Amino acid sequence: MAEERIIHGVVASVGTAIGKAIRTFDALFVSLNFKLRPDQVRKEVERFRASVEKSREQLKRMQAELKRKSGPESSFLIDAHLLVLQDRLFVDRIIEKIESDYINAEWAIQQVSDDLFQAYDRLNDEYLRERRGDLDDIVRRLLHNLQSKALPSFKKLSYDSILVGKVVLPSTLFELRSQRLVGLATETGSPLSHTAIMARSLEIPAIMGAPELAEVASGDLLIVDGERGVVICSPSDETLAAYKGRDRDGKKGKRKASAAVSSPSITEDQVQISLAANINFSEEVLSAVAHGCESIGLYRTEFDFFREGKQPDEESLVADYSLVLKAAKGAPVTFRTIDVGIDQRTWDGMNPNLGVRGLRFCLENTDVFKKQLRSLYRASVSGPTRILLPFVSTLDDLDAARHILEEVRGELDLRRQPYDPNIPIGVMIETPAAAQTCDLMASLVDFFCLGTNDLIQYYLVIDRSDQSVVHLYNPFHPAILRCLHQVYTLLRPTGKPITVCGEMAADPPSAAVLLGLGFTSLSVSLTAYPRIKRMIQAVSIGQLRELAGQILKMQKPKEVEQKVRATVYRT
Amino acid sequence: MKEREIVVGHRLGLHARAAAKLVQLSSQFQCSIVLFRTDAARAPNPTEADARSILSILLLSAGYGSKLAVRADGVDEEEAVNRICEYLTG
Repeated sequence: MAEERIIHGVVASVGTAIGKAIRTFDALFVSLNFKLRPDQVRKEVERFRASVEKSREQLKRMQAELKRKSGPESSFLIDAHLLVLQDRLFVDRIIEKIESDYINAEWAIQQVSDDLFQAYDRLNDEYLRERRGDLDDIVRRLLHNLQSKALPSFKKLSYDSILVGKVVLPSTLFELRSQRLVGLATETGSPLSHTAIMARSLEIPAIMGAPELAEVASGDLLIVDGERGVVICSPSDETLAAYKGRDRDGKKGKRKASAAVSSPSITEDQVQISLAANINFSEEVLSAVAHGCESIGLYRTEFDFFREGKQPDEESLVADYSLVLKAAKGAPVTFRTIDVGIDQRTWDGMNPNLGVRGLRFCLENTDVFKKQLRSLYRASVSGPTRILLPFVSTLDDLDAARHILEEVRGELDLRRQPYDPNIPIGVMIETPAAAQTCDLMASLVDFFCLGTNDLIQYYLVIDRSDQSVVHLYNPFHPAILRCLHQVYTLLRPTGKPITVCGEMAADPPSAAVLLGLGFTSLSVSLTAYPRIKRMIQAVSIGQLRELAGQILKMQKPKEVEQKVRATVYRT
Repeated sequence: MKEREIVVGHRLGLHARAAAKLVQLSSQFQCSIVLFRTDAARAPNPTEADARSILSILLLSAGYGSKLAVRADGVDEEEAVNRICEYLTG
């Protein structure tokens, strides 16, 4: 029996989980190996060939671009990748493996590449040993391209699985969500990553940024302790017994907490705060209603949209959105239109945060955008619907979006399809540009939503997924406080409602700062819902206003944070 | 069948770029082309490589000055050996 080991990391989602590790092969792939029936072999080989073909096309495109940008000299690197794809030592052997061992393509790729990696590692030549990186790259690409064809299915997970990997993509976590997946532990990443957000919304305990997890193998017994920020590998019987006891207490506590949340969110000095829920996928809506949420403040649509690696058609989107609205039982649902580019599978190594994101993507892909808008309008007959545009950075983009909305309504009129013509349209304030100009947008929209995660990232110039700077990400930075104060001051005279929906609203101390700055509407994940409601019930707005006045004069994030914590936790 | 021994003349040996070029060159011929390390008693990996497989060439780990035999078998074996040896010694 292996000895108990404690691996330190950062809490990305609270809670405790006990289960068996299932390792992801790499960032893009969950290693779900399975045997084929003899009649499945031919299809599996075709699937593999298709992924080779797709990889080849991607590389060719990349090479053409490289040639255009930097001449033929640098494109030879891609030649090497392309040659691997036609290398019989690689491709033919993988096909042989599938055919002779009846194993899935992913498994065969793993076996063949593992052999080759070992051969590389035996080389005396350091430069050549480094070339295993090229092979690694190709393997990832192939696995990625296989994955978008056939996604791993939770049905292949055993009960009480804890997903362990260097990186786990939010899409992977989403695809694997089920009762069987009880925890998540990753070597890299931080609580600010979208995978962490996803884990919290799925209420899956998660630890991130724990490099020692590299030693954990599939099948190891793990405890993910999302309170202490550790993963316990091969726990002793005593440890296990202690955690199992705590697990039961935790469940009891959870029930008590949900009884408390059905009470209204009114502060001690009788100020009504609107508390809505952030939702990532349709199944969560019922749970939100059960929590007593008055509204769905943010429904992220992109996860539903790119499910199964293919795009849904209009009819299925209408059906999905109608289902959400019906499940909400009359509570308004704010649908944020597709925001891609964040934590998505990108290969080009560019920073998608500064690229084609949110509304920019939609304006470049108007077919997709219009399809989604048509679906939202059509679904609006099922319940109060609001549309929120993400990542708005110029009034021109907003104009273009409004023009498209008008077109969509015109199309539906022509088709004589019923819809709510007065759907409120809102804008996310999450770029510095939007924060500076929100008052100019006010007359064009019905409401605003403040996305603090991105706003902080762009204001403080911190890549949320970069481990080396993530500690600098701080909602208590004076720059952020000033920015929030400014947004509030700019929007107040316009009378347009504004909801804060980022992580800042989900952590009691920073949420209290928002209340102090004047914001009266928050939207948080279901995991955070109970604690934020408790915070609201325990504070007095008068006192928080005073606090806000004081911290706006402070100079350093640390001072601010200490002051805020002292005030919030004293009450 | 045609065979000739050469000494690798590339300063960096058969590294990524040279290996890629060798595969591209070999692919122009119809005959089979195999490379052997003739000096590598201590080589960690197989000492034989298919000249059209970049992975096998790289794993041959043929640095500057290593000795290789080029063996071609097929209709255009003569020209293949000539061109490949010319390239490898260059």
